[in-house]
Amino acid sequence: MSPRIRVALLALSALILLPCAAQVIAGLPAFGSTIAQYGARINAITPEARHVANMVSAINFDLRGLDTLGEEFMLLAAITGTVVLLRGRRGEGMTGRAMHRPGRAVIPRSEATVLACRIAGPLTAVFGLYVVVHATVTPGGGFQGGVILASGTLLIYLGEGYTGWRDAIRSHWLDVLEGGGALLFALCGLVPMLTGAAFMQNVLPLGTFRDLFSGGLMLVENLGVAMAVTGGFTQLFLEFMEETREAEEPDEPGEESA
Amino acid sequence: MSAVTNVLPYAVAAWLFGVGLYGIATSRNFIHLVGCLGVCQSATYVLLLGLGYRWGSIAPIFYDHPPGTPAVDPVMQALVLTDIVVGATLTALLLVLTVQAYKRGGSLDPGKLRPMRAGGQTDRDRSSDRGRPAA
Amino acid sequence: MTVILPLLFLFTATSGTAVVLVRDPTRQVFAIAINGLVLTILFDALQAPDVALSELAVGSAAVPLLFLVALMAVRTQAPGEDA
Repeated sequence: MSPRIRVALLALSALILLPCAAQVIAGLPAFGSTIAQYGARINAITPEARHVANMVSAINFDLRGLDTLGEEFMLLAAITGTVVLLRGRRGEGMTGRAMHRPGRAVIPRSEATVLACRIAGPLTAVFGLYVVVHATVTPGGGFQGGVILASGTLLIYLGEGYTGWRDAIRSHWLDVLEGGGALLFALCGLVPMLTGAAFMQNVLPLGTFRDLFSGGLMLVENLGVAMAVTGGFTQLFLEFMEETREAEEPDEPGEESA
Repeated sequence: MSAVTNVLPYAVAAWLFGVGLYGIATSRNFIHLVGCLGVCQSATYVLLLGLGYRWGSIAPIFYDHPPGTPAVDPVMQALVLTDIVVGATLTALLLVLTVQAYKRGGSLDPGKLRPMRAGGQTDRDRSSDRGRPAA
Repeated sequence: MTVILPLLFLFTATSGTAVVLVRDPTRQVFAIAINGLVLTILFDALQAPDVALSELAVGSAAVPLLFLVALMAVRTQAPGEDA
């Protein structure tokens, strides 16, 4: 199909769909006038029913926990697919040289960069953990904290170079972290059934409102999500960077791959 | 609120979706195409959060405010939250497919992509493949 | 808030359009990162701090990085004679 026909087809479908979209928009409630009943009821009931302050976490990990279980396995499947595609082509071997374009000079890292990364790295990790564990109290949770933790490991790469990063972070640990996180979440659904409760029923003590330990089973599920997201995203970064390695053997040994 | 403000978020969502589709249809580079897909995706975020907003409400976190304060819809936020994180991994998957297609076909242009066949044959072999049983 | 929110929505539409119109993938990465930041600010103004935090980490850090590395992978691994 030539580009011209494609654009013409797109314009035609836009012509047909535009009135429909206008119709739908006209039928929606005016922006900011009202919210759905379901959300309003959750806001009204959940703080007392589940002892948590963050409604978004309450929905993700308790009220609609089954949906999050599905999301979790979507994440697992997407990352597994990515890793299988990448490793299937080039094997599981690793290299010390990646992110380096042949023929381009390698600029050595300045000491300031190394120092800044060594200071900022642990701080980022602490912040990520803070975001993870305060899921039920303040904005945050396993999804956000996991991505922050994974991005924090990139500071090791920035400060210590590619080889140092690969030494610090082992690929098979990440596999365990990711699969273990998904497993933990699935177990959170199954274990309550052993006690006679329903799937993913919140059987743990709910704790005190506005306290770090509130929400019961939500904390465990949140931990599972954090593990899976941290492992998954770090694995993505690792495998992507490994993809940029040079095909031929390195000619200048001892060179840093900054 | 004026009539424009009432429909603006939904119009912006429709615009983002449309412009993303336009980018996908006219893209000459797979990596650019994946970026356009991200724009389509952001249209859903804008639509969902626009639907869940209410003037003068607080965020659905009852830490500083006592429970019962009017808050925006938390369901939409939960939907968008997971969508963003899972969407990023799907973007990664698409980028990997792009890199693999480049390695096989030698081009990032969707127009130059040929159907993949067993053994990495190109469409030059298509006519001769007809008579043979499928490999 | 009455003025800020519509402005932010228009800003989002502009930055999203920019992502599409910047045809060079190397430059598009920056457009994607800026789009992520604009979306973050919009989500925060829409009283969605959870989503804003997620978009900040994913949209303006993780995804642009993945794009950059994919571009790098395409460049370093030229299969044919012309890359």
